[in-house]
Amino acid sequence: MRVPLSWLRDYVDIQQTPEQLAERLTLLGMEVKGIDRWGAAWQKVVVGEILTVADHPRADRLHLTTINIGEGEPLHIVCGASNIAPGQRVPVALPGAVLPGDRRIERTEKMGIASEGMLCSGDELNITSDAEGILILPSDTKLGVQLSDLYGDVVLDVDVKPNRGDALCLMGLAREVAAATGAAIRWPEITIEEAGESVESLLRVDVREPGLCPRFVGRWVGGAKIGPSPDWVQMRLQAAGMRPVSNVVDASNYVMLELGKPTHTFNGAAVQGRTIVVRLAQPGERLETLDHVERQLTPDTLIIADTSGPIGIAGVMGGAHSEITDDTTEIAIESAVFDAVSVRRTGHRYALRSEASLRFEKGQETRLARIGADRVAQLTQAWSGGTIAVGRIDTAPVEPEPTRLTFRPVRVGMLLGAPIATSEQRELLSRVGIETESAPAGSRIQVAVEPRPLVVDAGTDEVLTAIVPTWRRDLSIEADITEEVARIRGYETTPAHLPDTLMPAYRHPPTKARNAMRETLAGAGLTEVVTHALIDPADEAKLEWPDDDGLSMAEPVAGRTINVTNPLSAQHSILRRHLAASLVDVLALNERQGRESVAIFEIGKGYGRSGDLATEWNRLGILLAGDATPHSWTQPARPFDIYDAKGVVELLCRRLGLPEPSYSPDDRGYPFHPGRALTAQARSDKESLGGRIAELHPDVLEKWDLRVQRVIVAELSISGLASGDLDRVRVEPMPRFPEVDRDLAIIVDEARPAAEVAESIGRHGGSLLRRVALFDLYRGAPLAASEKSLAYRLVFGADDRTLTESEIDGAMAQVRAGVEADIGARIRS
Amino acid sequence: MDFETLSADLRSLQDRALKEISAAADPEALEQLQIQYLGKKGELTGVLRGIGALPAEDRPRVGAVANVIGEAVKGALASRVSELHSVVQARRLAAEKVDVTMPGRPIARGTLHPIPETIEAIVSVFGQFGFVVYEGPEVENDLTNFQMLNIAPDHPARDLWDTLYVDIPGHLLRTHTSPGQIRVMETEKPPIRALLPGRCCRYEAVDASHGFEFFQVEGLMVDEGTSLADLKGLLDEFAHALFGPRKTRFRPGYYPFTEPSVAFDVECVVCGGIGCPACSKSGWMTILGAGMVHPVVLQYGGIDPEKYQGFAFGMGVERIANLRHSVPDLRYYLENDLRFLEQFR
Ligand SMILES: [Zn+2]
Repeated sequence: MRVPLSWLRDYVDIQQTPEQLAERLTLLGMEVKGIDRWGAAWQKVVVGEILTVADHPRADRLHLTTINIGEGEPLHIVCGASNIAPGQRVPVALPGAVLPGDRRIERTEKMGIASEGMLCSGDELNITSDAEGILILPSDTKLGVQLSDLYGDVVLDVDVKPNRGDALCLMGLAREVAAATGAAIRWPEITIEEAGESVESLLRVDVREPGLCPRFVGRWVGGAKIGPSPDWVQMRLQAAGMRPVSNVVDASNYVMLELGKPTHTFNGAAVQGRTIVVRLAQPGERLETLDHVERQLTPDTLIIADTSGPIGIAGVMGGAHSEITDDTTEIAIESAVFDAVSVRRTGHRYALRSEASLRFEKGQETRLARIGADRVAQLTQAWSGGTIAVGRIDTAPVEPEPTRLTFRPVRVGMLLGAPIATSEQRELLSRVGIETESAPAGSRIQVAVEPRPLVVDAGTDEVLTAIVPTWRRDLSIEADITEEVARIRGYETTPAHLPDTLMPAYRHPPTKARNAMRETLAGAGLTEVVTHALIDPADEAKLEWPDDDGLSMAEPVAGRTINVTNPLSAQHSILRRHLAASLVDVLALNERQGRESVAIFEIGKGYGRSGDLATEWNRLGILLAGDATPHSWTQPARPFDIYDAKGVVELLCRRLGLPEPSYSPDDRGYPFHPGRALTAQARSDKESLGGRIAELHPDVLEKWDLRVQRVIVAELSISGLASGDLDRVRVEPMPRFPEVDRDLAIIVDEARPAAEVAESIGRHGGSLLRRVALFDLYRGAPLAASEKSLAYRLVFGADDRTLTESEIDGAMAQVRAGVEADIGARIRS
Repeated sequence: MDFETLSADLRSLQDRALKEISAAADPEALEQLQIQYLGKKGELTGVLRGIGALPAEDRPRVGAVANVIGEAVKGALASRVSELHSVVQARRLAAEKVDVTMPGRPIARGTLHPIPETIEAIVSVFGQFGFVVYEGPEVENDLTNFQMLNIAPDHPARDLWDTLYVDIPGHLLRTHTSPGQIRVMETEKPPIRALLPGRCCRYEAVDASHGFEFFQVEGLMVDEGTSLADLKGLLDEFAHALFGPRKTRFRPGYYPFTEPSVAFDVECVVCGGIGCPACSKSGWMTILGAGMVHPVVLQYGGIDPEKYQGFAFGMGVERIANLRHSVPDLRYYLENDLRFLEQFR
C-alpha cells in the first residue's frame, strides 16, 4: 500500500525522517518496501503568474502568454488550453524541464512563434486527472518556487500482511506509527448535516443473504453536481496510486484509503424501484461491470440488484449501468460488510480483483459500515454539493463489543525465551489500543481454536484479560497476544540462546548414499546437473525411454504421467518419469554454447500416479558425449563409448558394496543403437541397482539437432538412493599363501558374448579359481574372419596352502575342457 | 729368490694393478682385472708361489706384505666399481632429461551442483546441533501443504503461494517444504530437531529472481520450553557459519503456520551494512523466514501445544547460494550451462 506521508500526518504527528519512520514500521511488522519521492519526476517546473494572454495570429486554438516566474524577463509561452487568464498562478515547465514519463521540454516554435517552455496540466504532471486545462494553483502560491518543493511528498510503500486487513489504510497505519513512536492519533472529524427527505423515503434495502452480508448501511445524497474533486484530493489519490475519477467516486476511494472501508456509490436515478437487494444471482443473469465487460453470473455469486436485475457484484465491482456519470445528481451510498470467503471466491471465479475486494477478503469490522457511510456522505457533499438525506438505512445496527482474550504473562515470556514483567507487557499492549485487566479467578485460556478448541486451566499462573479492539480481528488465542507483545517490544530485542534440551536419537541422513555417489561420480570426471522436474510432454514422447527397466527394482518407474492442470507453459506441464530427456536437453544447450564434450549426471526423482496415489522414485542419470579423453600432447583424443558408461556403473557398484553387475544386450532399437544397448543389474542383500546403458539411436540425435556423433546415456534405479546408509565394509584377511596367475586365450565366434565365456570359465574353474579378468581381445591372422580371441587371466589360490603346479594344471585342464564343451571354443596355445 | 726381490715384485704388481684398475673403462674390464690379479690363478697367487723358497723367518713378513697389497687391490677395485656405476647412471639420467615446463596430463574431475552443495552446507551446520534430515513428497496433498498449516481453502494468505495443481484430486506440487513439519510430527515425538530439504514449485513467471521450481530447507524443533531465543541462537550460529561474523536481527514476519512469525536479517553481505542497491539501502538482507510453530499446526501434528512449543524456519536454497557465490541470476541453476557449473571446483 502506498502511503503519502503528508496525508498520514493528518492522523498522527511524525517527528522522524522518512527513513527513520520506515525502519520503525519495518521493525513493527509493517515492512516498508520502498520510499518514493513523489514529485521527483518534476524537474525545473516552477510556479509562474500569467501576465497577459493573447490570440495566436496563425492558430485559433493557441494563445500567446507572458509569464512572470518571479525573476528575470517575463517568458513568452505558447499555450493551447482555454482555461487561462491573466493573474492566475500556474505550473511552468522551463526549457530543460523533465515531466513524468521522462518527457523533456525544450524551447520550441509553435506555428512560427517561439515558446520558452510550457504551461502544465494536472494530467501532464500526474497530479490530477485533468488533461484539458492548465492546473490553476492557489492565488497565494509563491512565485518561482519549484513545484516539487510545493507539492512533493514522500510515499512509503508498505507491505501489509494478509492478517492485518485493518492496517490496509492510512488510519490503520497511523495506529501503527502511534504504537511505534508514542504519538497520539487523530480521527478525522465526521460530521453530517442532514436535510430534506428521510433516506427511507428515497431508498429501500433488502438483504436476502444476511449470512453473506451481515450489515448494510445506506445513505443518500441528492442534488449533487458531478465534477472533478478538489486538486488537493486528486493529488492525494494520485500519490497513493489511485486515479481520480470524479468528486463522488473520489470520495468513495478516499474513504477506502483513509479508513480501509470499501463503499460503492450508485447513480440513484438508475436504481430501479429505488430498491437495493442483496441476493444470490439467478441462473442466466448477466451484468456489464464497470470495466465494460459483459459477465454471465453464476448462481452462487452474491450480487447487488435493483427490482430489474443485477447492478453490481457484491464487494468486487459495480455495474456500468448505475455508474456515476456527469449528469448524475442523486447518489446512493452502499457501505456494507460482505463475507470475506464469498468475496474471495467471487473474485477468483471472475478473475476480478479490485482494491475493494482485496479489503473485503481480509475481513471487515462491522462498525466500519456505519462510519464509512457517514464519511462518504460527508465528503460527497463537501466536494459535489447537494443534500444528505436524513438518517441512514442500517440492516444490523448492533455493533459488537470488543472481544476479551485471557493470557498468561509467564507464557508470553516462555515462548519468547525471556521473562517480560507483567507491567511491561500491559504497557506494550496499551500502545496498540489493547487494554488489560486482571482476569477473574478460574479464568481459562484459549491455547488453540483449530482443528479442535483447546482451552486449559491457568493453574496458579497469573492471568490477564486483554480487551481487543474491534478492528483487530487477527487476535484470537494466547499466542497472538504473545506475538503482539513481542512485536511492540521489538523482535530485535530477542536474546540469543543455544538450545540446551535433549537431542533426538541418531538417524542416518537419507542423503548419505546419494552423497557418496555424487562424490564418486564427480571424482570420475562427471559434472552434476539439476534439471527441471516439470518438463515438456513432447520431450518425453520424442525420446520414448522405456519405462520397463527389465528388472524388478526397489523403485521402478510406475503408473501414469502426472499432468499439471494449470501449467505456466507447455514446456513445463508434466512431471517427468525419466531423467534421460532432461540430460539430452542439457547436452543440446551446452552444444549451442560451443561445448564439444559433455559428461554429466543427475540424481533426481521420477514421478507417476497409480490411481489417485502419487509415487516418486529416485533415479540416477548419466550422459556422456564427445571425447572421454581430450586430445592433448600426451595422448590422442578418444571418444566416449558405452564401455565408459559401464566403467562408471561398475565403479559405483564397488563404491556401494554391490557385486559386479550382470549385463544383457537389448536390441530393441529406437531410442537405442540396436547393437549398443544393454540392461545392467547388480544386487546384494540390502542394495540393488539396475537400469539401462545405451548409445542413443542416431535418429534421437537428429531430433535434438545435435552435432555430436554419439551420445551414451545410462539411467538407473538405485535403492540406496532412497534408503540412506551404505553397507559397511567387512574386511577379508589378506591371503596367507601366494596366488598364482595363469593366462588363457579362447577363440570363439564373433557373435559369442564375452560374458558367456567368462561365465563358462567360472563354472569350470573349481574351488581354487578366485578371479577371472578379460585382458585382451584379438582379431586377425591366423584367426578366421568370423572369429575373435579373448584372453583371460585366471587367479588361483587356497586359504591353507601354497598350490602345487599339478593342482593348477589340473584346474586349467578342467577349464579348457569345460569351455570347449560349453561353447565350442578353441583354446589358443 | 730372497725377501727383498719378492717384496719388490709384489710392489710392482700392486703399482701395475692399481694403474690398470683406475684406467678400466667399464664394469666388465674390472671383472677381468679382478680375475687377473686376485683370482685362484691370478698374479698375486703366482708371486706367492715363490714363498716356499724363502727362509722360514721371512715367510710371515712376505705374507703380511701380500695381504696388504691384496687388500689395496680389492679396495681399488671396489671404489672403481662404484665410480663407474655413477658415471653410467649419470650418463643415463642426462639422456632422460625432459621439458618439465610441459603441462601435466589432464585428469578429468567433475563438479558438484551448487544447489545440493548448498543444501549440504546448511545441513552440516544444523547437524552439529542435533538436527536430522527427513524428506517429504513433492507431490503433496492440499491438506498437508495448506490446511494443516493453518491455511484454510479460502484464507487470504493463499495468495502468498501461487500454486501448481496436478491431475490427482486434492493434490498439488508442494509450494514450500513446510508440509514436512506435519509429516515429521506425525512420525516422531519430541524432542524433535528436523531438517527437510527439497524441491518446491509455484505458479510464478521466471525472471532473474523468481523461478517456478526452486529448493528450500525447512527446519523444525519441538520440545518443552523451546523458545524464540533458542531460534535466534541457532540462526546466529548458522549465519556466522555461512556468511562469516556479521550482525543479525529478527523483525516481524507473517506466516499463518507460525505465531509469532519473524524474518531473519543478516547484515548486507555486499556492503556490510552501510546500505547499497543489493540491500535496497537498508543495510540488511533477509535470508529466511521463521517463527514459533502455531498451536494449530502442533495439534494437527498430534502434539499438545500446552505442553510443547517449538520453532520452524524455512529458507530458499538459491537465495543462500546467490549470496554465498555472488550468483546474479536464479535461472543459472536449472539451466546447467557447464560454463557456470564448472566454476564450482
Ligand atoms: Zn548492502
